[in-house]
Amino acid sequence: MDRASLFGELRVIVGDQYVLVEKEDVIVYEQDGSIMQVLPEVVVLPGSTEQVAGVVRAARRANVPIVPRGSGTGLAGGAVPAEGGVVISLARMNRILELDLRDRIAVVEPGVINQDVTKAVAAGGFFFAPDPSSQAACSIGGNIANNSGGPHTLAYGVTTNHVLGVEVVLDDGRVVWLGGRAPDPPGYDLCGAFVGSEGTVGIVTKAVLRLMRSRESVRTLLAIFDRMDAATQTVVDITGAGIVPAALEMMDRLTIEAVETGAPVGYPRDADAVLLVELEGVRESTERGARVVQEICTRRGARGVRVAQDDAERLRLWKGRKGAFGALGALAPNYYVQDGVVPRSRLPEIMRQIADISARYHLRIANVFHAGDGNLHPNILFDIRIPGELDKVIAAGEDILRACVAAGGSITGEHGIGLEKKAYIGLLFSDADLDAMAKVRKVFDPDGRFNPAKMFPTPITCAEMRRAPAKIPAGLWI
Amino acid sequence: MTRAALVSRLQRIVGPAYVLTRPEDVVVYEQDAFLVARALPDIVVLPGSTAEVAGVLRLVHEAGVPLVARGAGTGLNGGSIPIAGGVMLVLTRMNRIVELDPRNRLAVVEPGAINVDVTAAAAQHGLFYAPDPGSQTVSTIGGNVGNNAGGPHCLSYGVTGNHVLAMEVVLASGDVTWVGSRSADLPGYDLCGVVVGSEGTLGVVTAIVVRLLRKSEAVRTLLAAFETIDDASHTVSEVIAAGIVPAAMEMMDGVVMAAVEAAIHAGYPQDAGAALLIEVEGHPESLPRQMKRIEEICRAHAPRMLRTAASEQERLLLWKGRKEGAGALGRLAPSYYLHDGVVPRAKLPDVMRKVVDVGKAYGLSIGNLFHAGDGNLHPIILFNPREPGIMDKVVRAGEEILRACVEAGGTITGEHGVGIEKREYMRWMFSDADLMAMQRVKRSFDPDGIMNPGKLLPVGERPDVTVRPAMAAGMWT
Repeated sequence: MDRASLFGELRVIVGDQYVLVEKEDVIVYEQDGSIMQVLPEVVVLPGSTEQVAGVVRAARRANVPIVPRGSGTGLAGGAVPAEGGVVISLARMNRILELDLRDRIAVVEPGVINQDVTKAVAAGGFFFAPDPSSQAACSIGGNIANNSGGPHTLAYGVTTNHVLGVEVVLDDGRVVWLGGRAPDPPGYDLCGAFVGSEGTVGIVTKAVLRLMRSRESVRTLLAIFDRMDAATQTVVDITGAGIVPAALEMMDRLTIEAVETGAPVGYPRDADAVLLVELEGVRESTERGARVVQEICTRRGARGVRVAQDDAERLRLWKGRKGAFGALGALAPNYYVQDGVVPRSRLPEIMRQIADISARYHLRIANVFHAGDGNLHPNILFDIRIPGELDKVIAAGEDILRACVAAGGSITGEHGIGLEKKAYIGLLFSDADLDAMAKVRKVFDPDGRFNPAKMFPTPITCAEMRRAPAKIPAGLWI
Repeated sequence: MTRAALVSRLQRIVGPAYVLTRPEDVVVYEQDAFLVARALPDIVVLPGSTAEVAGVLRLVHEAGVPLVARGAGTGLNGGSIPIAGGVMLVLTRMNRIVELDPRNRLAVVEPGAINVDVTAAAAQHGLFYAPDPGSQTVSTIGGNVGNNAGGPHCLSYGVTGNHVLAMEVVLASGDVTWVGSRSADLPGYDLCGVVVGSEGTLGVVTAIVVRLLRKSEAVRTLLAAFETIDDASHTVSEVIAAGIVPAAMEMMDGVVMAAVEAAIHAGYPQDAGAALLIEVEGHPESLPRQMKRIEEICRAHAPRMLRTAASEQERLLLWKGRKEGAGALGRLAPSYYLHDGVVPRAKLPDVMRKVVDVGKAYGLSIGNLFHAGDGNLHPIILFNPREPGIMDKVVRAGEEILRACVEAGGTITGEHGVGIEKREYMRWMFSDADLMAMQRVKRSFDPDGIMNPGKLLPVGERPDVTVRPAMAAGMWT
């Protein structure tokens, strides 16, 4: 099938106004939250499961790739159409179909914005737990594809812990349900395999989400440290004491400098690290938890510990953390946010290694991250206009990931693999492991039509990609 | 390959002492805790290492005979019954706790390690392994993984799948692979999640990395007895609706309570309609107010008795009644069929009424002893197997209960798994397209269909991968 007849078929399926082919229309879909871009040939915006199935069947007949896309806030290039084909934007399918507070579930379409789920149930005393920083913009479909986390993942788990079932369109246009409304159904846990599959298995068109009851009490503390080492030891001690805070976030000296330069909230500029600790639960237990956390911080030599006395102060303490990424712009024109994981007990040593890598490459690295679950976000600051700088940044990022894996961790905590890290997945898995995954993929997508060139090192590696300008235009890494 | 050649090559792999072929040796492996079916294995092999398991699988693959993995044989769905014959792989010799890492709160164990031994080993560090099936003093971690086992405390801690970080798996080809990792939520497809609950149909697990939890500082346990099951069911719904998640919330009906009290003397009222055993855990300061709230909710339903355990000894006694409840049922009937269904908690009162109706309609006595807090029912159909035609009635009554669970938006099993018992009922929950998706995954791991054939997925007119589809005659005893 030639392009013109494919476009014609797509228009019949979804309607003329929902098929975009003009450059000025498709250019807004060339990039996600990463630093890679490829212009799509055609963008389709279906409005229903049937339309998604129709588009998938048409793409199959035309033998072109399919790339699903939510809000485009992904950080690993997962929504970039690396091999061309049809980009399916699920943004129009943004309805909350059902709220069942007695059974604590919500049934939503994939384009629903993360925060809108919580907004819809907050009055009833419930919330949807996964809270990625992009939650005001990112979609549930994208959260599912990347198995997104967030600051409160420490206590509540990542997206996969909150998705009970998904309706999925498979490669031949068939519609199946994986999982369902009840937790832990019999059979293979294909819902679990689907969450985090980054669009390589099928397209989610409905999701059953677990809702959680709002906690009656929240306590937030900010602890200031003169040495990073003391802060990381404090994290190890808090979790070691059997306390699981709802969130346990860390910011280093460079991040504090950025926040205080960009949008000051009153962090001491000469501190080496601050810890933001939030406890949720029954009132009596958060009060005692807060006392224990204060004691541990003091014992580890914290310069001071502030406990928020009311909601307004609590929000002020969080403001610096939430605005930290934006504030990095005050320090450098570009930054590359890395995402790695280490076992909590290895935090002190990995932070020392990141400092070493920073010194070795002469690159400034700002750390703002989910310390409680060992999920690092080193932000490598740079200026893209300096020749050769980007290569250094990528090499430093790779060194950090290798250090994480050597410490027994992982190359991504919540951002996913996408295009960005597929060359590194071999650090984590043996050939036999990857082969098992390839077999599963083949079962669902024998032609490799769904989001090709993502997640797995084959058929082309990252290095080959950068040498293949026919598919990836020059200036991919901007 | 002749049987003799297969036996001698198996002996070379694991040693002659660990290959059983004589009828008097293999007969103990013909059954699990699914008391109504059995089938003799042809050959039983007891490997001692991953390398030996891989060797056995390569050989079995070459010979093209079915392979059934077995732990302690406490499974309730017939999953370890070798209905297609072949080689049974018994993993009880591989029972070591290989590594205990309290700092990272994990343990690496072999599949034959006994559930309660993991907690016993971790206790010195103030840690425990959360999934606590009723069989925990005997059942193996490998079997728990195969069936995604639950237990009373799964209400707050989740089932086995939530506590397995990674596994070493030997595939049908004999290849050894790792799924998952020591750090949680790895990228790539979550194959560790797929293998947990796959009931031995995808591969043989030879090492398991489990998550350990920190013991709560304080625990309070309350026994609340009610006049009717309805009162108890409503109490469960309201406790959960009040935003309280107890560590456990178990229900026992009057039938079970009378049998338990006669056997164990835990102090349960003998003539109440139902009792709830409710346990809360956490900081010592946080418990009194939660207990007060729970008691208030109980009081709204006219309880016969509210008793809070005053000592650890009393607490254990209250639990003893629950944990040994199934055993006490022997006082009431010569045999029983223990069912396992799930309903949304809000539907608990409706479905419990339905269970009572089914019992009346079939003239069968049904006891209930179950995880009320997560809507996981265990109706226990009591019967005398010597009564002609009774088995048919028992099976049909069970089917009707499970159908009611599915119609209420629940499932056909909460923690016992599917096995041979419920494989045809899978069609009630999944469409043909859903089941085909599972079949395709099965085939990608086990293209020749030699891993535990005839289990988990329906057989019959639709495509399947089983070797010998029919159940042997006389299996339903």
